[in-house]
Amino acid sequence: MKGYGERRAVDRVDLSVGEGEALAVVGPNGAGKSTLLRMLATLLRPEAGELEVAGCRLPDEAGRARGLIGYLTHDPLVYLDLTAWQNLELFADLYGVREPSARIEDVLDDVGLLSRAFEPVRAFSHGMAQRLGLARLMLHRPVVLLLDEPHSGLDAQGAALLDRLLGEVRGTRAAVLVTHDVERAVAVADRVMVMRLGRVVESVETAGLDPAEFRATYEALVA
Amino acid sequence: MKPRPLRQLRALVLKDLRLELRTRDTVIAMILFAVLAMVLFQFGFGTRQSDLTKFAGGLLWVTLAFTAVLGVGRSYVAEREQRVLDGLLVAPVPRMVLLVAKAIAIVGYLIAVEILVVPLLGVFFINGPFWSDIGWLFLSCLIADVGIGILGALIASLALFTRARELLLPVLFLPLLVPLVIAAAGATNAVAGSAHDLVQYRNYCLFLVGYAVLFGLVAYATFEAVFDD
Repeated sequence: MKGYGERRAVDRVDLSVGEGEALAVVGPNGAGKSTLLRMLATLLRPEAGELEVAGCRLPDEAGRARGLIGYLTHDPLVYLDLTAWQNLELFADLYGVREPSARIEDVLDDVGLLSRAFEPVRAFSHGMAQRLGLARLMLHRPVVLLLDEPHSGLDAQGAALLDRLLGEVRGTRAAVLVTHDVERAVAVADRVMVMRLGRVVESVETAGLDPAEFRATYEALVA
Repeated sequence: MKPRPLRQLRALVLKDLRLELRTRDTVIAMILFAVLAMVLFQFGFGTRQSDLTKFAGGLLWVTLAFTAVLGVGRSYVAEREQRVLDGLLVAPVPRMVLLVAKAIAIVGYLIAVEILVVPLLGVFFINGPFWSDIGWLFLSCLIADVGIGILGALIASLALFTRARELLLPVLFLPLLVPLVIAAAGATNAVAGSAHDLVQYRNYCLFLVGYAVLFGLVAYATFEAVFDD
């Protein structure tokens, strides 16, 4: 549970995401999706209830959990006045990445920014900066991905890359994706959870789910 | 992969240095402010007082205290304006490492200012020998800077999450700086001009060390909670 003043932003949410599973959380603005994700990312402390991420109980083992979490929002969370390489070098040091130069080269290559590695991020388009954010996300090989509207501002190449990454999650890592895009949620996740006013109002498996049909259900649920 | 605090600290300090070298907007602003303040003090006192040596410590440290407010206020500007703070907070960095890195950055800014302002003090306000004692002056500056850096990093981090941070920062920071200003001004006066009281200088410097240790302990005890929620 987490509240802001009188209002409960997240209330009695009970969820579990297994290894190799991708969960999408959808809901209207103010549903509590981002607050939930920020609690999982150790950025907010729950007021009540129990929270465990990658086998670490929060907030007591937050330090250990942070090394296993990859967090990406609609902001790339990189310094605009540093170059792409300098940003990744910083995060490689913060996460204790071994052989950082080789790893940085790999992830920059993956996101198609190797040729722009030594340019300041300020010179990048938003889509390119967001792809750099994706490189930052993958840099330390996290086991839990927490993604808050990560497709926002991504160019087509970046969106395809992110969807590929989410595809790779199946079977290897766990991911929680917060999004407004119901169709994309159904396409990339194993399960979709609908939140409204801080509570879970629906949770369905996506296998065999028709996106158009689910959108109609979603709209009825959040109306 | 096990992150090492020293590697993290080096990376964070290097990052602040790179950002400052690229933008040059904090140190330049601080230097301009400090030099202008010294010049204004010179105009304000110069014609009426023939010997300002006994005020030199006070003038220097009032100037540096207000200059520090500028540096402390700008210490999280990049994280705030470029929305990177969450990226740092989700990384497995002990919160104390974040504080120490910011304190080192603030100390760096202050040293850059003092390299210009301390000689200016000798030119404007000190009658009698000055250059032979400049090493003592820089030493007391360095010790005081550590205290300012720790307190500044703590207060800047506290103010970071408030809406009225521009107001809150000087209101919290300057009163807590009063003991440091008194001791640092005392240390300066003890070695400025013809005065050469090294016993008094040592006592003031010990006070400055105590001040830094005290706020280091306060930061150690509270800093985890500052970034928590």
